[in-house]
Amino acid sequence: IWVALLLDKPKSTMDMLQLGDWTFNADNGYLEGLVRGFKAGILSEADYVNLEQCETLEDVKLHLQSTSYGSFLQNEPSPLNVSTVDDKLKELLVVEFEHMRNQAVQPLSQFLDFVTYSYMIDNIVLLISGTLHGRPASELIANCHPLGSFEQMESVCIATTPADLYNAVLIDTPLAPFFQECVSQQDLDEMNVELIRNTLYKAYLEAFYEFCQELGGRTAEVMGSLLQFEADRRAVIITINSFGTELSKDDRAKLYPRCGKLHPDGLARLARADEYESVRVASEAYGEYRPLFEGVGTNPGDKTLEDKFFEHEVALNKDAFLQQFQFGVFFAYIKLKEQEHRNIIWISECVAQRNRSKIKNYVPIF
Amino acid sequence: MSIFRSEEMTLSQIFLQSEAAYAIVSELGELGAVQFRDLNPDVNAFQRKFVNEVRRCDEMERTLRFLNKEIEKAELCVQDPHTRPDAPHPQEMIDLENKFEQLESEMKEINANQERLNRNFLELMELKQILNKTSTFFEEAGAHQAELTEGLHDKSALLGGEESSRHLNFVAGVILRERVPGFERLLWRACRGNVFLRYTEIEEEMEDPVTGDIVHKCVFIIFFQGDQLRSRVKKICEGYRATLYPCPDSPAERREMAIGVATRIEDLKTVLGQTQDHRCRVLQTVAKSLRSWEIKVKKIKAIYHALNLCDFDSTTKCLIGECWCPVSDLESIRSAIRRGTERSGSSVPSVLNSIAAEENPPTFFRNNKFTKGFQNIVEAYGVANYQEANPALFTIITFPFLFAIMFGDCGHGLIMALFAFTLILKEKSLMKKDLGEMFSTIFAGRYVVFLMGLFSMYTGLIYNDCFSKAFDIFGSRWYIGLTAQDYQSLEKADKEFQMNPIENWYNGNINSTRSPYPFGIDPIWQETLSENSITFTNSFKMKMSIIIGVIHMTFGITLSLSNHLFFKSYISIIGEFIPQVLFLMSLFGYLCAAIIYKWTLGVTQNAPSLLITLINMFLQFTSPYPCKVDSHGHPLKDQGDGQNCLFDPAAQGYLQKLLVVMAVVCIPWMLLTKPLYLRHKHKKAQSYSINSPYPDTVGLTESEGEDDEVVHHDDDNDGPGSKKDHKGNRGFQFSEIFVHQAIHTIEFCLGCISHTASYLRLWALSLAHAELSNVLWNMVLHTVLQTSMLDGMGFVRAIAIFLAFGFWALLTIAILLIMEGLSAFLHTLRLHWVEFQSKFYGGDGYKFSPFSFATILEGEDET
Repeated sequence: IWVALLLDKPKSTMDMLQLGDWTFNADNGYLEGLVRGFKAGILSEADYVNLEQCETLEDVKLHLQSTSYGSFLQNEPSPLNVSTVDDKLKELLVVEFEHMRNQAVQPLSQFLDFVTYSYMIDNIVLLISGTLHGRPASELIANCHPLGSFEQMESVCIATTPADLYNAVLIDTPLAPFFQECVSQQDLDEMNVELIRNTLYKAYLEAFYEFCQELGGRTAEVMGSLLQFEADRRAVIITINSFGTELSKDDRAKLYPRCGKLHPDGLARLARADEYESVRVASEAYGEYRPLFEGVGTNPGDKTLEDKFFEHEVALNKDAFLQQFQFGVFFAYIKLKEQEHRNIIWISECVAQRNRSKIKNYVPIF
Repeated sequence: MSIFRSEEMTLSQIFLQSEAAYAIVSELGELGAVQFRDLNPDVNAFQRKFVNEVRRCDEMERTLRFLNKEIEKAELCVQDPHTRPDAPHPQEMIDLENKFEQLESEMKEINANQERLNRNFLELMELKQILNKTSTFFEEAGAHQAELTEGLHDKSALLGGEESSRHLNFVAGVILRERVPGFERLLWRACRGNVFLRYTEIEEEMEDPVTGDIVHKCVFIIFFQGDQLRSRVKKICEGYRATLYPCPDSPAERREMAIGVATRIEDLKTVLGQTQDHRCRVLQTVAKSLRSWEIKVKKIKAIYHALNLCDFDSTTKCLIGECWCPVSDLESIRSAIRRGTERSGSSVPSVLNSIAAEENPPTFFRNNKFTKGFQNIVEAYGVANYQEANPALFTIITFPFLFAIMFGDCGHGLIMALFAFTLILKEKSLMKKDLGEMFSTIFAGRYVVFLMGLFSMYTGLIYNDCFSKAFDIFGSRWYIGLTAQDYQSLEKADKEFQMNPIENWYNGNINSTRSPYPFGIDPIWQETLSENSITFTNSFKMKMSIIIGVIHMTFGITLSLSNHLFFKSYISIIGEFIPQVLFLMSLFGYLCAAIIYKWTLGVTQNAPSLLITLINMFLQFTSPYPCKVDSHGHPLKDQGDGQNCLFDPAAQGYLQKLLVVMAVVCIPWMLLTKPLYLRHKHKKAQSYSINSPYPDTVGLTESEGEDDEVVHHDDDNDGPGSKKDHKGNRGFQFSEIFVHQAIHTIEFCLGCISHTASYLRLWALSLAHAELSNVLWNMVLHTVLQTSMLDGMGFVRAIAIFLAFGFWALLTIAILLIMEGLSAFLHTLRLHWVEFQSKFYGGDGYKFSPFSFATILEGEDET
């Protein structure tokens, strides 16, 4: 009777929230615990300080052995190079992700699939632009991010027009709905590839945002703020990068993802911008983004806007771990780990090239 | 042997001559009696002195892992060496490195060769399959083409004919089976349906040349028209990792090619066999010495890790290591150092000096396989402080005994003891096996379980309980002197018959001396006839639990006395031990005395309730008599409310008042004496140091005076205060010490009451165990034995009994032995950790973990 009563109740938002919390652990408790455990393995400030002092890549390897990375490089013959480290790092992340994906049930499984779509987009764009430059497919495939690999990936190279790409290859992939807007593009040149990337990304972000909002509850709340920031960042970066190119303002405006905080007023202002200053003015109207534009410069020692964005992203991702019973932690973990990989690779590159002056330009996480 | 107090340890400094350091550390590792301290904790792992050597070892280990993997792949077995080789000389390391490097490159070359050959082989096999399979395709296609040509013919007749366009191109190849559906779909889409794909599965399993996995593949053939389509089809094939093979058009050519392929396959097979043999031979030689190489490399690595913990003194060119070692092993350590020096041929001897330690030394007990189980039980709570009394020694007896009180059943005990005894008998062979997590835990505690079983048999005999039945060895001392008429009249009246000890107390022979049953409980109590057997055993077991509990706790407090004496902390004896004993004795010691006194009284009508007596001790403190008396001060006859006198009312009143006053006085005594004394001593020391013209000398005497206090800190009675006190006399915090003492006092006083009550679990679990086993007997086996339904069906009854016995035995083992055993074990554990050890045990120490090759190698084996 009790159960029946529960089911008969009208599903107000409040009830949904609580219902979700009651049953969350039944389906996702293990994975949430797992991901929080993984998060505890993210390198700390002290680890980075130690890494900075490394003289060779062997030192980096030795230090990473004492962290949660353990013996991930132990079967690599010396001398090491940075690309091996990079590959191994990716491999480790993929193993973790695959494990979580295999354990996940709907809707978490779909959520995790959504996470991989962004890597798929990157891979497709990489393949197309690589083919444009006449690189062999096998080399391109090796450079693809393993999280975003899919069955049809290797045949992307056969396409000569976006319509071809869509009809022959992408129609079977989950990216198909995102691609529909690009089909009208005439042919694949460098400019159009960028347009495709951004259009795809826009569609993807909007779909992901909508999906999270449909999930409701805390996932919507946490993922909302993460994806809003992602959307706004893309809008700003697209605008800045478009200065001095032949991209028209109308076309540019079409590329802005419409799920961020900037939508609609900020985006309208961005659409009119012709120079960095007006981008800054448009964004500074939003309280959270104001600090990002402060102290930004191109002089050595200054942080670039991109760095500032990364720092803000890390902060947001860390915040995602403050709430329980939501999927944001999975997304945040992948993003944090990605940032950590960028950091390690950056430090490794500095160490390998013996250029220590910029070694501190990483984004510490904890 | 050091089981009661941990080994005396000393901090030693070793000056290692740099040329002899390696050999000496290697000797010390074989000995396994020193624990190195990290002298450069701030230095990163990769900035230490011998990091390069460690790295080389890592590299060697990697090569060995690679070789091991190859050996596993070849399914050869690795031989274990009979003896563990010594750590090789540093020069030998280079040889080893060279050897490994050579082996690795050889192996890699062989692998590359084999991979190439395998790939060739695979390609030929695929080609063979294609030639086989495609012939059917071509036949079908031929028929198809004929139709097509006819159709075209009609049209071309109209259009004026373009014969060449009729010609169909094709490609043939092999693709992974799971990729076929996607491949087909993509072909269709990308070529807008202008191609014709046929495929068929290859039944034979193929081997992937790189990974060696078994894969399933398909042969396919694609027909299309025109060059543009050809390039497109080829791209798609490339995208799906299909391998394309040239395939001749005409059947004759194809046949010819097939014959060629077949001969090439034969050739390749012999070559492949030879490479395989060669590879096997190489790996076999490696497999012979692989383990000993592994051990060598591990030892080298361990030595350099230990050397990394040492400090390098650049002026004397020697390494300085600090280590903890047991005083009794100093001689063997010195001789190990001498051996190492000799081995390295160093002219300057390396020296071992004892130095003063600031921190507490590690705790080291030399356990054998018997005491280890008990030590583990204690250490699961906390490792003993340096040299404090080790409860493990007493746990050897108290643990199985307290367990047995709860588990008292002769039969269950016997099964448990036999089980543990088989483990002990087979321990040598079992020790080598991997037993799994659950079973290895039991195996580690086999001696504990064995003693638990034996003690359970003993208590089972006392309870006279074996699978809920009693032994009647000496004959019951009770006699029901009833005639048949008496029985009938009782039955008619439906009344119970109560035996009177005066009348029914003899052994069937009225003239025998009236002695009780000589050992344990009289078997008559286990009879189902006796309605009040539970009441009787409850009273007995409850009282017994209290008595045993109080003895156990008193013993714990006595051990604290032994600690105080050992650490020469006399103030703790006066301020803690004496009031603690008085407090416990005046309340619960009195209760125990009353219990025993009451037992000696025999049966009286006026027996007082001990619980009410104990409560009235406090509640009726002001009235002159603690029990019911008449107007002359004589005890009243039984009133049924339990408030009878135990003995003379006036004397009982005096005694109880005295005891209560004593207990109450003990509380402030415990609370105040020690903190006030410490404060007084501190003040005195301070005034000395201010007034004295020679602060230095006073400093000396003062530190002497405080010596006992520092040691006494080991006893964990006075917190960090006295330690700070020692370090330069600042930070003597009276409040801190006082709060600590207050907590301690409250804990003890409340603890005495709650802990005594806690020992009642002995009774409760024992009752539960006896009742469960009783129920199991009555409900399962007894029912089948008694039932009248099976009368006259001997055979059926036999089967029924057989089945019922199986069920009963299963439940006995699952519920009574395993489940009840576990629960009794847990309760015993709690009684030891909380009730017993809280009286004296600090448990804040850390374990001595010596640098020893044996443990390093074993640890590696486990992981």
